[in-house]
Amino acid sequence: MAERTGDQTTPHTAATDGGTHTLGLLYPPSGRNREYTTMQLAFVGGIAEAATPYGYDLLLSPGDSHDDPLFLRMIGDRRVDGVIVMEIRREDDRVERLAEAGFPFVAIGRNHRADMADWVDLDFAGLAGGCVQHLADLGHTRIAFVNRSEQLFNSGYGFARLGDEGYTEAMKKLLLTPRAYLCGDDLASGEEVVERILRDDPATTALVTQNEAALEGIYRGLTRHGQSVPRDFSVVGVAATPWAEQVSPPLTAAEIPAKEMSRVAVELMMRRLRSPGSPPRHVLLKPLITLRASTGRCRSDPGSEPEPEFPDFGLDF
Amino acid sequence: MVTYDLGDGYCGCSIDVATVTVSPDGVVTGWSEGARRLLGHHAREVVGRAAADLLLGREVPEAVGSTFTASRGWSGTAGLRHRDGHRVEVTLHAHPSLGGDGTPQGFVVIVTTGPAESERDRRMVEWAFAQSSIALSVHPTASPSGQLDVAAESGERGAGVGGVGGEHAPETGSGPYEAADADEGFLRCVRQVAEEGTPMRYERPAPEPSSAPATTATPDAARHRAWIIELWPVRDPATGEVVGVGTAAFDSADQHSARERLALLQEAGACVGTTLNVTRTAQELADLAVPRLADFASLDLLDSVLRGEEPVPGPVDAAVVLRRVAHQSSAEGTDVPEAAVDLGAIDTYPPFSPPARCLTGGRPVLSGVDDPDFARWIAGDERRTARVEEYGFHSVMATPLRARGITLGVAVFARTAASPPFEQDDLILAEELAGRAAVGVDNARRYTRERTNALTLQRSLLPRDFPKQAAVEVAHRYLPAGTGAGVGGDWFDVVPLSGTRVALVVGDVVGHGIHASATMGRLRTAVRTLADVDLPPDELLTHLDDLVIHLTSDDASAEGRIRDDTGEIGATCLYAVYDPVSRVCTMASAGHVPPVVLLPDGTVSVVRLSPGPLLGVGGLPFEATELELPEGSLLAFCTDGLIEARDRDIGLGLERLCEALASPVPSLDATCDAILQALLPESPADDVALLLARTRALHADQVAAWYLPSDPAIVADARAQASRQLAAWGLEDAAFVTELVVSELVTNAIRYGAVPIGLRLIRDRALICEVSDASSTAPHLRRARTYDEGGRGLHMVAQLTQGWGTRQTPMGKTIWAEQPLPAG
Repeated sequence: MAERTGDQTTPHTAATDGGTHTLGLLYPPSGRNREYTTMQLAFVGGIAEAATPYGYDLLLSPGDSHDDPLFLRMIGDRRVDGVIVMEIRREDDRVERLAEAGFPFVAIGRNHRADMADWVDLDFAGLAGGCVQHLADLGHTRIAFVNRSEQLFNSGYGFARLGDEGYTEAMKKLLLTPRAYLCGDDLASGEEVVERILRDDPATTALVTQNEAALEGIYRGLTRHGQSVPRDFSVVGVAATPWAEQVSPPLTAAEIPAKEMSRVAVELMMRRLRSPGSPPRHVLLKPLITLRASTGRCRSDPGSEPEPEFPDFGLDF
Repeated sequence: MVTYDLGDGYCGCSIDVATVTVSPDGVVTGWSEGARRLLGHHAREVVGRAAADLLLGREVPEAVGSTFTASRGWSGTAGLRHRDGHRVEVTLHAHPSLGGDGTPQGFVVIVTTGPAESERDRRMVEWAFAQSSIALSVHPTASPSGQLDVAAESGERGAGVGGVGGEHAPETGSGPYEAADADEGFLRCVRQVAEEGTPMRYERPAPEPSSAPATTATPDAARHRAWIIELWPVRDPATGEVVGVGTAAFDSADQHSARERLALLQEAGACVGTTLNVTRTAQELADLAVPRLADFASLDLLDSVLRGEEPVPGPVDAAVVLRRVAHQSSAEGTDVPEAAVDLGAIDTYPPFSPPARCLTGGRPVLSGVDDPDFARWIAGDERRTARVEEYGFHSVMATPLRARGITLGVAVFARTAASPPFEQDDLILAEELAGRAAVGVDNARRYTRERTNALTLQRSLLPRDFPKQAAVEVAHRYLPAGTGAGVGGDWFDVVPLSGTRVALVVGDVVGHGIHASATMGRLRTAVRTLADVDLPPDELLTHLDDLVIHLTSDDASAEGRIRDDTGEIGATCLYAVYDPVSRVCTMASAGHVPPVVLLPDGTVSVVRLSPGPLLGVGGLPFEATELELPEGSLLAFCTDGLIEARDRDIGLGLERLCEALASPVPSLDATCDAILQALLPESPADDVALLLARTRALHADQVAAWYLPSDPAIVADARAQASRQLAAWGLEDAAFVTELVVSELVTNAIRYGAVPIGLRLIRDRALICEVSDASSTAPHLRRARTYDEGGRGLHMVAQLTQGWGTRQTPMGKTIWAEQPLPAG
């Protein structure tokens, strides 16, 4: 992991002060019908597991606003020693409230407000840049970027913007032309964005997507254009939830290290509780891109392909 | 040769015979017509005159007892006066004619012409007859009794020296006629000669050697009683009438035994070496030699000979260890109580023992009780001592079994107390016999070796147990051709490759027999080697093609090779690599029958791939075909022997293979059997190889792969990522080594390789760590010198893992290292 800053905190079995030995986890279910997704459950499980060695229990609050009664009880009655906040929005009143109250908290994810507190997050910019590098290594030069929806992008300081920055920077560093597209979080938008990309540059051979919800549509659009993944067209995701494996072909993307992030979050919280006055620590994780089956060597643009070291003696005579 | 009287006197023996009677006082009283013809005087002129008047010069005849007064007869020579005055030299035989009182009344004088020496000659003839080294006899044709009496006999042993008039002298018991008289065959011959008047030869065979030693008192006699008897008619020269039969008997013992030996040798040629079995051949010699040559025979061979190996040429060193292969004795039953060594047992012969001496010298050795070494040898072994004492072995011959300059073992012949000692001739015979047996044993040994080789070759050429691998589940069958050819040129193979992949090979060398088999073996090894280099299928076939071209030219240039074919090696091969991670099967064919695939959904089809040129054609490209297979697909590879038959073409055969494959059967083995049953002709003309493979797949939870940017800073991340993955797999124990391996390989890839760089971990039967990059330069394991900074990484990897290697990929290369999974 890159840019790890937090020092290792040795787990110890019990806090010495008269605390509650309970941590609060603010994690609203975001799935359909307000169900927890596999990824969310992985975080919940991961945090509970990481807290146990320190002798801490976990109190889960599914509320997503500061009005949530459980959240209010947690803070007001001091039923927990500290709070781990997830699903950080750009403007997040939960974070505002916590910061105002001076309540110890650690964020998984970040916004400008959270910067004053401890957080652990994925390096979306770095990941997007890594995706570009991966495609460039495979010989791709015309690489598009599919971001989240315009609304999400405009909401500010989120991974959508970070990803875009990382992509653009990496492309520029490689002296390539960045072409970023915003795309709705649905199947139809995915198809539509492929339409736009290939209209703008028919020679496009690869794209980096930060939008998993549109992935199915992207594949469909490529198929409709006679582009086979990964033979003709490579697709790489910035960060993938487990279902990236279930599309066909499985998406090459960095996996979100839920367990790792959970562990770091609990470590940061322990440190915060032990020394409340210490400066905030920020941990940025940059997992490796997991190779699955959606990327391949660039073949449709031989002009831009680097010369192989040895001439290829083709047998087509 | 012999004359003898048929009646009274010598009448008819000579025409110049005169008979004169003379009174005791010397007066001629009778004058015969013969006397008139001889001397010219008529009876009236001579009778009454003194006989002495006829003498020329009145000289006294030179004769013993030349007086008419004696009552004995006498003989002598004298010169008589012819009527016309000339001198006639005559021989006189005077026989007294006695009166009743025993006094001579007169003399009958027989006057014959010719010198007196003739009488001496006649006597000499008689003496010669009597003293002849050849047994002679005469038989009168018509004896009054009607029996063939022996009129005269002679013989070397002094037997039958009866002279003319022939009385039987007592014999020592070994004369030819004694037994011959009782021999109906001989008598018949005598009669035949007498009747037909033509000479004959009668052979009286020696009596069969007796196996019971007690029956013959003198063993020598028992062995040497063989005679050849010449018979001829004796004619009266005057009348031409057959008056008797003359016989001459030759002792043919030597000739007989020579012929016996010849017969034994001839029989050895026919009876020894009837099979190509070492032990059987040895036993045949032992059986033949007993009892005709010896009372006991044994054959010991070098152990290497029995194993069919090549013994050291030349004589064997002293103190040889030999294995008893065969023995025989004249004892009743199948047991050989005389043997001091059991069949199949090992015995050591001390250097001074006759068998060891004959091996050392390479020459047969004759030995016996008079040989101190023999006694020493026998005394050295308790069992042997007992046997020699019990059976009275007194004479032995040891002959090396040598063939084509190689010593194979030793044959020992022995005689018991009942038989005479071996002679020099026996030794020669034994040597000759041993020589023949040795050739037979050597043939058998060579055959054993060849056959062992062929079987070993065949066994080694075809796989029996495939190495464990997880990529496919396999079942296979190999059936040799139904007609005698035995080994064939079909083969199949399953080769585990790095990264849990597996190569499936099936091939066919045209033709049958050891040549096809050997070629197949070479190709199979070549394929294994090339597979180990991890060449992609099309490239592998290109290399194999080159190899076949080289083999063909090598074979063609090999001098003296039997050109039973055009010298070309016709071979086909199908090479497929299945990767359980990607579930892709890459195949290339060199003129081979395409495989058939049964998908899990039940659809079955012939894999469409470019058939490719036959191996050995050269110059034409092979084409690889990729096939993505769902997990649990069933691939069927076979050779044309299965699907091609006289009554159908390949297309139909493949169709039937598809049908047979599609019918649901519980296990792969059962499927193999079902396919063979459905497709195989009664007596397959070609050998058949069938290989079935059901694909497995490695799931996402067994494989993890990451992209690595070419940035040295990423090494730590890669290490951490690998470690996390191992934790997820519950393989924390392997983390230390894996992190080291990842560090080394990733660092190397970043430093020397080319982008893109990938890291892959596979958890299967082993934990495999792979780092791939786009550079095709393969790393070498080199020995780092003391102060070298580099060059240690791969050493470390090699030390820490159970195997590492590199393979070329379409994208560059992959370096892999394998660790055993922690137990449990």
